Amino acid sequence: MHIMEGFLPAEWCVVWWLIALPFILIGTLELRAIMQKDREYLPLLGACGAFIFILSALKLPSVTGSCSHPTGTGLSILCFGPFITSVIGAIVLLFQALILAHGGLSTLGANMISMAIGGPLAGLAIYRLLKNTRVNIYLTVFLVTAAADLVTYIITSFELALAYPAQVGGVGTSFLAFFAIFAITQIPLAIVEGSILALVFKYIVQMKPEILERRGVFSREQIERALSAENAGLLGGDRS
Amino acid sequence: MIRNHLLELVTFIVILAFIGIFLLVSANGAHTFGGLDDLGSQKVGEMTGRPADSFKPLIPQYEPPSGEIEATLFALQAAFGGLVVGLVFGYWLGQKRRAPAP
Repeated sequence: MHIMEGFLPAEWCVVWWLIALPFILIGTLELRAIMQKDREYLPLLGACGAFIFILSALKLPSVTGSCSHPTGTGLSILCFGPFITSVIGAIVLLFQALILAHGGLSTLGANMISMAIGGPLAGLAIYRLLKNTRVNIYLTVFLVTAAADLVTYIITSFELALAYPAQVGGVGTSFLAFFAIFAITQIPLAIVEGSILALVFKYIVQMKPEILERRGVFSREQIERALSAENAGLLGGDRS
Repeated sequence: MIRNHLLELVTFIVILAFIGIFLLVSANGAHTFGGLDDLGSQKVGEMTGRPADSFKPLIPQYEPPSGEIEATLFALQAAFGGLVVGLVFGYWLGQKRRAPAP
C-alpha cells in the first residue's frame, strides 16, 4: 500500500522519514558486510529480494471489489532481519515512486515505515515467538508472511489516521475508517501470499537446507524434522 | 505421494479459492476493482472535506502517461524478480545435482 504523493502533510512526511532513516542506514551497512564477507548468502539475498519485487508488482483483486498489492517481505525478514529487509523494500518503493507514481518521494518515509519496516517487524515478532517451538516451520513462514503483509496496511491506516484525525472521535475513529477499507481487502491477499511464500520456503529448504541453518533461520533439528516429515507424509497434522 | 505435496495442494486450493472469490465478486454487482491507494486517497478527501484531486504533490513526480505504460513498468518489475528467482533456484539445483546431499 502506498500513501500517494501529496496525501501526507509535510510535517508527517518528515517524521516518518526520520524514523525510517536509521533502519536504512544500518541495513546498508549490513548489506555491505554480506557483499564483502558472506558472499555465500548472496543467492539467498537475491531470492528473498526478488520475491518482494515480484509480489509487490502484482495488484490482486479482492472481496471488496478493489485491488491491492501483497508485500512479499516475509522471506526477507526471516532470512535477513529487519534492516536489510528495509533496504530492499525501500528500493522497490523508490522504483514505484519514481517511475510509476505509486507513492511519492515525500510519502516514501511513511511507506517505508509501513511496508519495509513495520510490517516485517510484526512478522519478526511472530517468528521469534514460534522459532523455538515445535510448530511446523512452514506454518511459521505462513504466519510471518501473512502478518508482515497485513500489518503493513494496519500501519498505513494508522499513519493516515494520525495525519487526518476524525473531527468526532479523533485518531481512533479515523483509524477504524481507514482500516475498514484496507483490512478486509488485504486479508485474502495475506493468506494467498503466506501460502505461496511458505511453498517457496519449502523449496529453499529442499534445495539449500544448510544455508538456512548457517544463517540461523531455523535449527538443524527443525529443518531435518520438516524434511523427514515430508518424506514420512506427516506434514498433514501441522497445517490446518 | 499426495501427502508429500500437501503444501502444494494447500497452496493450489488457496489460489483456486482466491480466483473463485474474484469470479463471484465480479459477477455480483458492479465493482471497479480500483486500487486501494486511490480508495485511501478518496477517504482522505472525505475525512478532510477536500476533494481528493486538490491534494497536490509536495515533490513533483513523473506519472506514466497511460495505463498501458504503467502495466509495462509493473511487468518489468515482476520480470526482473522472476529472472533473479529463476537464476538462483537454477544455481542451487545445479549445485545440488553435482553434490547430492549425504
